[in-house]
Amino acid sequence: MSPNDYDETRDDGTPSESSDESANVRGNRADPRRHLPDGGRAPSRLADGGATLGAGGDAELDRGPFSRWVDRSIQNPQRVYRAMFYVAAIFFLFTTLFPFYWLLMVALTPEGQLRDIVFTPNGFNPGAFVEVFQTLPFHWYMFNSFVIATASTVLVLVIASLAGYAFGRLEFPGKTPLMLLVLVVSFFPPAAFFIPLNDLFNTPVEILEPVMSDGTLYNTPGAMVMPISAIFMPLAIFILTTFYAQIPDGLEDAARVEGTTRLGALFRVIIPLSAPGVATAGVLTFIAVYNEFFFSFLMTDGEAENWAPILDGILGYQGQYEILFNLMAAASIIGVLPVAILVIVAQEKIVSGLTAGALKE
Amino acid sequence: MSSDTGIGSETPERERTGNAVVNWMEGLSEAAYAYLLLIPAFLLLAFIAFYPLLMTFVMSLQEDRTRGAETLGGFVGVENYVNVLTGDVRLAQQFMDVSLSASFPFVDFGVPLLQQALFVTLGFAVISVFFETVFGFGQALILDQEFRGRRWVRVAIILPWAVPIVIQGMIFFLLFQPEVGFGTDLMQWLGLFGPNPLADSGDAFVIVLVADIWKSTAFMALLILAGLQSVDRSLYDVARVAGASPWQRFKLITLPLILPALLVAMLFRTMDAMRVYGLIESSVGCTTVPSLTCMVVEAMFGGTRIFGTAAAVAFMTALVIGLFISVYIALFRDTEAGFY
Repeated sequence: MSPNDYDETRDDGTPSESSDESANVRGNRADPRRHLPDGGRAPSRLADGGATLGAGGDAELDRGPFSRWVDRSIQNPQRVYRAMFYVAAIFFLFTTLFPFYWLLMVALTPEGQLRDIVFTPNGFNPGAFVEVFQTLPFHWYMFNSFVIATASTVLVLVIASLAGYAFGRLEFPGKTPLMLLVLVVSFFPPAAFFIPLNDLFNTPVEILEPVMSDGTLYNTPGAMVMPISAIFMPLAIFILTTFYAQIPDGLEDAARVEGTTRLGALFRVIIPLSAPGVATAGVLTFIAVYNEFFFSFLMTDGEAENWAPILDGILGYQGQYEILFNLMAAASIIGVLPVAILVIVAQEKIVSGLTAGALKE
Repeated sequence: MSSDTGIGSETPERERTGNAVVNWMEGLSEAAYAYLLLIPAFLLLAFIAFYPLLMTFVMSLQEDRTRGAETLGGFVGVENYVNVLTGDVRLAQQFMDVSLSASFPFVDFGVPLLQQALFVTLGFAVISVFFETVFGFGQALILDQEFRGRRWVRVAIILPWAVPIVIQGMIFFLLFQPEVGFGTDLMQWLGLFGPNPLADSGDAFVIVLVADIWKSTAFMALLILAGLQSVDRSLYDVARVAGASPWQRFKLITLPLILPALLVAMLFRTMDAMRVYGLIESSVGCTTVPSLTCMVVEAMFGGTRIFGTAAAVAFMTALVIGLFISVYIALFRDTEAGFY
């Protein structure tokens, strides 16, 4: 049942030196169904030498593309798998991408005509992408999101680098329990931390008085950066532990012999050599923080000047009396763009990071 | 590499203190150095996680005080927990509201199951993780093939995973918003949904499920793909020579070898699904589909200042997740190299 069988049967019409008998037999053996519909016709035509080429063409036409495909598939199951593969691939591409496409259609539809949008917009209003910034200071929300995500990423990378170095390259008593302790944190729902933290961030602290009008952390990036960093740090620690553990001891020893300090060896040898791992942990943390909902939603009052991130911007188009659906859609598209670009640029890193992080744990 | 590390200094004052720290650090034993490096991480965790967790527990044992300057009253033991479990709280949703009865099916539901936070959360976690695993497996099998444009197909499949939760919620809110989206019409035509699915607990639950499956299948696919790609290809050649059908190859080689990766991926997703809040809040709203986290936020900001009760619900949420995960780990501990 290899593809060769099939080629053979196809060929046997054309040369016509072979007798009807043998052609028929070979054809039948390779594909019992092939000659069934036009019973005795093929052999009789084969008998009159010259017409054979045409006969082959006729037979193809008779059977039509679908039955021809079925025939080939029966001879060569590989074809069925390929077809199934394409059907499944197209199905998944459609289901993952269609919501984005549809969102774009909603954004392009003028406000009064938002009704029954499926594949095309009702009208064409690219101005929505400008209105987004005029109705609310959406650029401000995006800036806040970037500041929060960048600050959290830097904080996580520094702290997780130190911890990852300890877990990945040093031997000390209590290593496994401490690693489990870090892991346990990611088990708990943010809701379990939230109430005391909310109290804490709403308590005035004297040293903050000059910076914040009421001296609390609420409505500052700190109120979001700290909890969000703590939540996403375990993943970064596990990714970096894996990468740091793979650097050969010899390289670090050589640097130490040359007089590098312990911390110097970490920052000048281990981290540069694990650059792909650090980049991976950074990209994953950035995306996770940018996408975070719980603390971003609850730790500010939703005003752009109070460091509210994009989620408040997007929900902001939902006013008390009217909901600007097209602007919501446009803002959503703008909000997705940074992460979409990051995914396209860093997809290898994302894949390897999720893999390393998960398989290690 | 060694030039500027403390020996031979031009700026004596700064370098001297620097030297002292460096020398002290050099003199530490390996274990002491390791603990030193772990201090920042554990400080952050202590401040953000361990201390609040303890405080939540303490608060949950205190009386609600709805008037006056103090937000919490005296110590009341497990009263808050009892009140939450018996449905005796001033909350729009119930944590769990069932009582045993003599007649079939032996339990009475005070309110429909989909208005009880415990069942919504558990049901959501089990159903969404099931479908995400199945579809994620399908996607992973596709990405495991060699074909042209694989890079772009992979980008397309990962993309939903990278979408901010609020935008994920917004997409599905708009899709099923009767005025804008076609989702309601489509589902009504199929006879599955009522006229306003965003306000109906059952329909809204399905919407939240679909939204979560759309986003998180990508995450499952990536983790399963990682498992698939670590399988030794020569095993398939051996199986092919031995005459194994594709299904047999899948069942006897692929599945057992990627099972550990699969179980870890499912564990992660389950934990995540049980914390669901943002998706619900930004799509159908917490009053329609109350999850456990929804209940905590509601109790906290519902306007009635029942902080003791809120803390009790928060701690119970953590307990439920911990219990569920423990059962999960216990069940699969013996499977193939296991985790931990």
